[in-house]
This record gives sequence, C-alpha cells and structure tokens, in this order.
Amino acid sequence: MNGFQFILRLEKLASAAKSDSSFTVTLKRFNGHDRPVPREGKPPLPKPEEYMCLMRVHSKSKKISTVVRREDVPKMVTMYAQFMRSNLDGLKRVKKVKSKAKAAKG
Amino acid sequence: MVFVKSLEDFEIAAENMYMANPMACRYTMKYIHSKGQILLKMTDNVKCVQFKAENMPDLKKIEKFTSNLMGHMASKE
Repeated sequence: MNGFQFILRLEKLASAAKSDSSFTVTLKRFNGHDRPVPREGKPPLPKPEEYMCLMRVHSKSKKISTVVRREDVPKMVTMYAQFMRSNLDGLKRVKKVKSKAKAAKG
Repeated sequence: MVFVKSLEDFEIAAENMYMANPMACRYTMKYIHSKGQILLKMTDNVKCVQFKAENMPDLKKIEKFTSNLMGHMASKE
C-alpha cells in the first residue's frame, strides 16, 4: 500500500494495540527482488538499480507493510515522526532535577 | 540478551553493523504501552544489539536515528 494509507492503518493498529498487546515496526533494505536466488546455471537476478526501504508493522492480529522509495523518504520520515510523537506517549517523563543543591547554596 | 546501556552506544553499534552489511541488516522497534517501553533491535543475522528505551527524551533521538537509517536504506548505492 502507499505511504499515506500505510500511516493511517498504522495509527489504527497502534491504538488498537495500546490496550492489550504491543506492536512491532521493522525496517529493512529492499533491492526489488521478488523471486528467490536462482540455482547455478540459471540466469542470475538483475542487478538492482535502486534500493528501497521495506517497512513492516505487525501486531497480535494484523500485519501491514509498505515500500518506501528514495523520493518518498522525506515525506515518510515526517509522517512517521508525527505518528511516533502522538502515539508513543506511554514513556516516563524525565523530571529536571530541581536544584536542591542551588537552594541549599543560596 | 545483548542489551546496551545507552542510546548513543546502540546507535553507533547499529550504524557499524549496517555499514558492514546493508542488505543483511534489519532494524526492529517494538512498543509496549502497558510497560511504557520501546525495544530497539538491530541484527545482521549473526550479531544483535538491543536497547530498551523508557524515557520521553529518548524518543526524539530514536526518531532521528530511524529517519537517518531509512534514508540510508532507500539510497542509490
């Protein structure tokens, strides 16, 4: 599916997973080969002209994936960063150590 | 497991692993809301480095690292 649809489905998956399970995002380099490497004697697979990024997300019940090309990287990066900031909010907020030392000093 | 203590160490190790063998490496990020953790893992099917993030400030650094990695993966060479 395309990048924008992927992010929408990802958000749905993430909010569903919040209540009961976790979700996993995997990134891997993809060279466009969709067939297994042929045996010796057979013609080899064509050399890839460009590499892409394969992005997969899976949760307990659903799996989605998308391919990101070089041109789409900036857009995808922005959308993904936005998604991370809005959804991954269960982490601890680090309190700034109030300068008790400062108070003690002055 | 092969956990590292700091995010900086994880980023350096992961970057080295990727540069050595880009096609074999995969990067995984697992978010567990109930525990408030993000588990990062980078493996090249031989070795593996992991990092457990529990604090908000780490999230921004993880974002940066992920976008950096994505850019490397979808490049021309």
